[in-house]
Amino acid sequence: MTISAAVLGLLAMTILTLAVGTATRRFGRTTSDLLVAARAVRPGLNAAAISGEYLSAASFLGVAGLVMKFGFDVLWYPVGYAAGYLMLLVFIAGPLRRFGAYTIPDFAEGRFESPGFRRVAVAIVILIGLFYMFPQMKAAGLTLATSAGVPYWIGVVLIAVVVASNVMVGGMRGITMVQSVQFGVKILAISIPAFVLIAHFGLPGQLFRDASKSRYPVAETTTRIDVSAGTVWRLPAPAHIRVDRPASVEVLNTSNSDPGVLAFSNEQARPPGKSHTPPINIVSTQVLPEGTLRWREAAVTYIAPGSALPFGSQTPISSTGDWLKPFGPLAGGSRHPLLFTYSLILAIVFGTIGLPHILVRFYTNRDGRAARRTALIVLGLLGLFYVWTPLYGLLGRLKTPQLYSNDLTDTVVLVLPQVLTPGLVRELLSALLAAGAFAAFASTLSGLLVSLAGALGHDVYGNWLRPDSSPRARALAFRLSALLFAGIGVLGSVVVEHFDISVLVGWAFAIAASSFFPLLLLGIWWPRLNLVGAALGATVGAVSATIAIVTTMIGAAWLPVGQLLAGHPALAVILAQPAIVTVPLSFSVMVVLSRLRPPNRAVAAAKMLQLHVPERLGLRKDYIAD
Amino acid sequence: MKDRVAMEVFSEPLDEQEPRALKEIRELDELTTLGNVYLAALMRKHLKLSVTASLSFVFVLCMIPIVADRVPSFSSVSVLGIPLPWALLWFGSYPLMLGLGWYYVHTAERIDDEFSDLMQ
Repeated sequence: MTISAAVLGLLAMTILTLAVGTATRRFGRTTSDLLVAARAVRPGLNAAAISGEYLSAASFLGVAGLVMKFGFDVLWYPVGYAAGYLMLLVFIAGPLRRFGAYTIPDFAEGRFESPGFRRVAVAIVILIGLFYMFPQMKAAGLTLATSAGVPYWIGVVLIAVVVASNVMVGGMRGITMVQSVQFGVKILAISIPAFVLIAHFGLPGQLFRDASKSRYPVAETTTRIDVSAGTVWRLPAPAHIRVDRPASVEVLNTSNSDPGVLAFSNEQARPPGKSHTPPINIVSTQVLPEGTLRWREAAVTYIAPGSALPFGSQTPISSTGDWLKPFGPLAGGSRHPLLFTYSLILAIVFGTIGLPHILVRFYTNRDGRAARRTALIVLGLLGLFYVWTPLYGLLGRLKTPQLYSNDLTDTVVLVLPQVLTPGLVRELLSALLAAGAFAAFASTLSGLLVSLAGALGHDVYGNWLRPDSSPRARALAFRLSALLFAGIGVLGSVVVEHFDISVLVGWAFAIAASSFFPLLLLGIWWPRLNLVGAALGATVGAVSATIAIVTTMIGAAWLPVGQLLAGHPALAVILAQPAIVTVPLSFSVMVVLSRLRPPNRAVAAAKMLQLHVPERLGLRKDYIAD
Repeated sequence: MKDRVAMEVFSEPLDEQEPRALKEIRELDELTTLGNVYLAALMRKHLKLSVTASLSFVFVLCMIPIVADRVPSFSSVSVLGIPLPWALLWFGSYPLMLGLGWYYVHTAERIDDEFSDLMQ
């Protein structure tokens, strides 16, 4: 059975994660052990760990799901995720490693010699970390719900327990090895099924030709869709539909026929057509008109082969032409598609630099030169991974279009193997993809939890509230913080259940791009940047981006705000994708405020010396002493 | 000819050779006016390289939406059955990034080495 194979895959990854985490337990004694992995990890291994941590559920599940939902415009996500590393490589990796800063708060404090700024930076780390953690939790719930059939919230709680116990036991050392193993799992899990699917269904060129044959996704075979009372369907074309029990549909809005109620009655009852399908109690066949429909009763429906499939209430109707072209339903739905697209690119490309759990990894390099080489290898590994993800979205549109009806496009990577003929291959692929998804959210969640718990346990408790606390007390604070944030993540994942994984992740990137990216770029390359400018600029960027995003989230849930936004399309775009406004805003605040005061050339030059002079000359001192 | 140059170098007294070799690095370490000039030159070289590498990619990337917006036929062209915008982003962008990244690392290491050689 498919379900059991997927569960085995999940189970294997859980055991592997816990085993590697526990094997390194004896290292996790003091705070510094918990936070910093062994130095001088070789660039190859380090790059695998970085990629393992970076390739989150948004990459493994979210990109394919969004490609299926919105088409071409989504390709900006994987390209931007990878291009972020190009920016990190050319502007940040080398100097930051030379400076010896371990986290962004370390850099904020060290560059501007201000413990106060460190606290501001810690607050922003927690903000970004939470926004990034919720979608990973959502992915966990979704994966377990799809693969193992457990309720969403149980999946979320399970993953929170596994990851939190791992972080509490092993800390950074434990997860370094786990993460490089998890990278291997993810790259195999995304590529091997892709080869099999290509062998079955053809190369992308063939798939694009197949997709272009029909104006809307159609059912290839009789397609089962379960509906509950109140389920809303939007049919792009009339569809032949059978139902397993008497049910009725309200026609809410249609161009061809009058609104009214269509009933599937007992009168036209007849036996099922094919012998190998389980006997179903079919009531009648109806042709449902195109337009918006609402089911009055729960039922199991069967769409006839060749019929158009309905789109669910959360999924925009996309004709094949729109889906294939730039400015399709993702960007084009906003009426300002160019503005939307550029703002999205800006957030994703420059947000990577500001993610709190990413820069930490560069400290585990021997020197600036190794940090650069590591970043280059990461760039290659990411490309190797992302090149597979759009294939799943394209295949999803062709082979599993019922996900449009259920608003479950985020699960396409997990569901796709089920279109293969039953057998060992199908079971293995299901297990592999479930394991890959587990690796994706578990590795990113581990990294995030370490960053968040480090910020709270190490910075807030250890450096600020109780500077005189013992290493034991700090380690305990770190562990309790990990538990606390895992709990917050569980609660948050319930709030975001109906948002797309990649859209949620895009928001975390927007906040990071508006706060830490300007701080790091100017802090490293512009000697005149001073404390007031840097602190206020980062704060203004983070706060304005967060306000914009929260307004959009409220607008999606609460009608009055939603209607207000619908009346101002340009404002709605800027609030939904704020980077194009908030990134320049943060930069301007930093530059203007820094220029107001006379520069302190001696201090600034000493900082630049630390950041930019090659280690070979032996002038540098690490910010953190070993 | 070669021998004579070698002879001249060796004929220099050792106590004079040592301070000469350390002079630049001390200027840099103590951030004298000259040291600041060295540092600024190093940063300028690196920044120029970083901006070149990143802007080349950003330029190519940002051309795609604007071309797609202004030239509708751009989206109708296909390469091996794959629509051109898909082919560019899906298969073209990663090799371009990696190529630029490799060029950057190679050149940045050369800049660092030249600088270190000059200082030591």
